[in-house]
Amino acid sequence: MDKRNFLYLFYGLTLAWGLLAAYLFILMQRSRKLRAEVDRVKRMVGDNER
Amino acid sequence: MRGVWAIARKDFQSELRSKEAINASVSFALVILLIFSFAFEPTADETRAIAGGLLWIAFAFAGALILNRSFARELQNDCLDAVIASPIAGWELFLGKALASFLLLLVVELICFPVFSIFYGVNLTKAFWPLLLVLILGTWALTALGVTFAALTVNIRLRELMLPLLLYPALSPALMASMTLTTSLLTAGVFGANDQPWLRLLVGFDVIFTALALALIEFVLVL
Amino acid sequence: MSKREKWVYALGVSGTVLLIVNLYRILLVLGDEMQQGAIYRIIYFHVPAAFIGWTLFLAALVASALYLWKKDLAFDGFAASAIEVGWVFCSINLVTGMIWGRIIWGIWWTWDPRLTSMFICWLLYGGYIVLRSAIDDAGQRATVSAVLAIFAFADVPIVFMAIRWWRTQHPSPVLETGGLAPEMRLPFWLNVFVFLLIGLAITLVRVDQEDTQRELEGLRRRAF
Repeated sequence: MDKRNFLYLFYGLTLAWGLLAAYLFILMQRSRKLRAEVDRVKRMVGDNER
Repeated sequence: MRGVWAIARKDFQSELRSKEAINASVSFALVILLIFSFAFEPTADETRAIAGGLLWIAFAFAGALILNRSFARELQNDCLDAVIASPIAGWELFLGKALASFLLLLVVELICFPVFSIFYGVNLTKAFWPLLLVLILGTWALTALGVTFAALTVNIRLRELMLPLLLYPALSPALMASMTLTTSLLTAGVFGANDQPWLRLLVGFDVIFTALALALIEFVLVL
Repeated sequence: MSKREKWVYALGVSGTVLLIVNLYRILLVLGDEMQQGAIYRIIYFHVPAAFIGWTLFLAALVASALYLWKKDLAFDGFAASAIEVGWVFCSINLVTGMIWGRIIWGIWWTWDPRLTSMFICWLLYGGYIVLRSAIDDAGQRATVSAVLAIFAFADVPIVFMAIRWWRTQHPSPVLETGGLAPEMRLPFWLNVFVFLLIGLAITLVRVDQEDTQRELEGLRRRAF
């Protein structure tokens, strides 16, 4: 069995899951930002209506 | 059908009077042809083998300038709202605009043709009529998709950037067909044995995307 | 916890568990393929990524058509989510394919029909994502991107057909191998399933964000 092959297999799998993880990370951050913004605007709306 | 002619005549005439897009487009195409001469040895035989490709790259890039103007010219003084509110159906508006852009593109291409033939030592008269057929089919593919995407992008930021970004990948089958057909006409002078499927592909592309555009343009225009 | 969040967790967890089991089997139990050695295992990730990408693009096409018909922004949110996640899977497919090609062909990229058509589709749907980010008004964004999604999907078969003719005049460097060996079939389809679960989980997360975004816009309109 050729060692080089395994190295590249490792690269391939790492990249595949790395891409997915990076995308998930971006998604999480977007979620957090959205939630914070919703809270902020909700508070503003609440203040206005009081 | 009368609406189609009205829109086409209006667009074509106002462009011929101002010559805004057509001047820019012709000079842009010529600049592209000039730049290609740096990348390849212009008179070598290999260049003839990629001549169709060079020509269509120049047309596609120069065409984007004209297509961009197609709907953007109505933005001033809110003309777009007036045109949409007028008793002209959506498909008539699309066909009229496409027809005008198509004719303008053909004018630009017919100006570039002799220049190209002189600069790159290519004989165009050998197969002029088949070449014209390919030119018409390829240009219609470019306009049908281009005018639809111009309508999609007319109201957004970065309009000038978005159109080419969307247009060229979607257009790639038609560009491949036009390039192959043009190259084989320029080298052999006749359609080769491999060219039939390409011709069919180009016609099919034209039909499919014209139909799709006519069906969907109403949604785009009522925004 | 909302119903949708429960689904996300259920899909995500079951997907991950199945993936670990399957990874163990793929990496440690299965032997190497005769000609390609260890690297052939990339096929377990490369091909399912393409399958799921296309499934999501197809789902987005249906959702886009439904949006144009019903004018319900929920369809638009789903279409946008599906295309974004599908595009990520499309990227995974391209990247893993390049690494495989580096070993088997000795080059990172070749303008082979499948590679080229996948790349063109990647560009097309990338354009869709960029276009969405350039429009502020929700209704306009939904209509424009729905029309574009329909055009993009109509283009795909034509692109694939054209590219095949374009390149088959040259001998292609790919030696199509026969079907999968029987002992490789199960892990392969299991991985397709795993990718489907994970892809759905991510799409649901993304749909949730689209909903929150709409809620936010509604709140803003009340606030100002």
